Amino acid sequence: MLTAISRRRTALQILLLSAGFVVLVAVSVASVLLVNKAREDNALVVHTIEVENQISNLLLEVRRAESAARAYLLTRWPRFLEEHDAAVANVAPYVDQLARLTADNPPQVANIGKLRTATAERLEQFRREMEFLKQNEPDNATALVREAAASSSDASIRDVAASMRAEEERLFAQRTLTADKTQVLASSVTIAGSCMVLALAGFSIFLLRGSSRARDDAEAKLRDVNVTLETTVDERTADLREANEEIQRFAYIVSHDLRSPLVNIMGFTSELEELRGDIFKRIASLNRAASPAPAMPDDATDTAEPELEGADKQLSEDFNESLGFIKSSIAKMDRLISAILNLTREGRREFKPERIDIRELIEGIVRTVAHQASEANATINVGVLPALVSDRLALEQIFSNLIDNALKYLKDGVPGEISIGGRTKLGFAIFEVADNGRGIDPKDHQRIFDLFRRAGTQDKPGQGIGLAHVRALVRRLGGTMSVASELHNGSTFTITLPIKWTGKHRDKES
Amino acid sequence: MSDPVTIIMIEDDEGHARLIERNIRRSGVNNAIVPFTNGTAAVDYLFGKDGTAADRKGQALLILLDLNLPDMTGIDILKRVKENKFLKSTPVVVLTTTDDSQEIKRCYELGCNVYITKPVNYESFANAIRQLGLFFSVIQVPPAL
Repeated sequence: MLTAISRRRTALQILLLSAGFVVLVAVSVASVLLVNKAREDNALVVHTIEVENQISNLLLEVRRAESAARAYLLTRWPRFLEEHDAAVANVAPYVDQLARLTADNPPQVANIGKLRTATAERLEQFRREMEFLKQNEPDNATALVREAAASSSDASIRDVAASMRAEEERLFAQRTLTADKTQVLASSVTIAGSCMVLALAGFSIFLLRGSSRARDDAEAKLRDVNVTLETTVDERTADLREANEEIQRFAYIVSHDLRSPLVNIMGFTSELEELRGDIFKRIASLNRAASPAPAMPDDATDTAEPELEGADKQLSEDFNESLGFIKSSIAKMDRLISAILNLTREGRREFKPERIDIRELIEGIVRTVAHQASEANATINVGVLPALVSDRLALEQIFSNLIDNALKYLKDGVPGEISIGGRTKLGFAIFEVADNGRGIDPKDHQRIFDLFRRAGTQDKPGQGIGLAHVRALVRRLGGTMSVASELHNGSTFTITLPIKWTGKHRDKES
Repeated sequence: MSDPVTIIMIEDDEGHARLIERNIRRSGVNNAIVPFTNGTAAVDYLFGKDGTAADRKGQALLILLDLNLPDMTGIDILKRVKENKFLKSTPVVVLTTTDDSQEIKRCYELGCNVYITKPVNYESFANAIRQLGLFFSVIQVPPAL
């Protein structure tokens, strides 16, 4: 639920970012395009002004030619003639330039045509005036001037120029308007884009704040959950500890209470045994009294087993057999109860962590079993072993149990080889007790660690307690143990213990 | 053991009581044995109705005490006996199945004179009781004040 929301939020963020980017790109492109357009529009406006300028120039040149011609006619100064010629020479190029400038505009092209005709006509009149003056016929020239003034060519030049000017005025107004529009458009696009980017940024900030608030909430929740989890774990641990103590107490009380009736059973069985002796003595003496044979002296029956015959003897043997079974069963039960008592006592013993030289400790154990080893024709090799901080007594019990077992379950007729090795790994010491003995069937690997359970040929005395005890000790020391073995191929017991056991873990007392 | 000494046996298990009695007799101790199978009856007998043990004044007693009683723990009885001015010099032998070292220590601290763990092996048990009987036969019990 939480992750779905945050995922949607992230997707929205990305979407917003991309939208902002797209808007920025669009605004940039539009701006570039519009700026180009505005430049073009401005160029057109400038062009229009240029055309108007050119028209003015042309008209000016025509007027100049005209006024120079009149001045020459009046004064005959060659300076006016030069001026007239210069002005006339300028007219045709000006018309050409004007034609070039307005080539893109059909109405202007038509106007240019008219202008060209009118100016050509006017220039022809100037030429004829000059001609008359050169031939020294001023009257004709004056008449021509008068005629020209009255003729249509001058007016037509004026009209065409005015219409061209009007056209250019129109174009100027239109183009100015377009340029303004383009500029307005450009600025509006920029403003709109900026607004959109700003809006997107604002929305994005809003979302960011929302998601950071959600994250803060989630963090707070996580902290709460962690605290709750720790409390739960502590509670569970306390429960387990209590349950474990309960079991220990239970085992202790049960074994104690079982012991009491066992004392009675054992005691009265022994009493019965004595009674049996008395009864069969009586029977024997009664038999003797009834038989004609001479009676044995009475005091002899106190020490010797009374002599019985036939059915009586059978009876006595049955009696003995039954008592024997009862007594051996009681003895076994007593051993089991003692074992449970010892285990619970071990479970209650407080472990004291101390620095232990394991090699020294194991060599001590090997010395105590040296006799057993030589009887079993076995050699024990102790390798290099890491030192530990742990409980000495527990480690002694662990290793002496394992070495005892290794010696006990050797293969008949094969010299025993037992080796004890060790190494360290990640704060743990790993010990291996390996033998070349009879081995354990893999299906029994779990069973051998259970209390009162044994595996393989039952030809050695034992209650099935050793390994259960060892495993309980290893666990209390914060370690684990396992076995690798197959039938007839020896066994290797591996024990992993923390190198520095502080007594804090798993130990209910601390 | 001089004859007037009475053995008070506080033992809830009648079988145990019987076995103890038999074995004490076998060791040649013939003093009167007063058996109790629960703590309340024993306390009533020892301390009387008023709880002062004035009735027991001047009697020579020896108490054989089991710790696991159905109605109270033997430790309570031991404590009361050792705190009572008439009974405090009475020898108390604790005979029980508990072999917890803490409990043994506590009993001695409270003034128990002998602490014996009942062995389950009958030979040892009988042996222990007989030796206890021999011990009874030589022990000098001071008369209660």
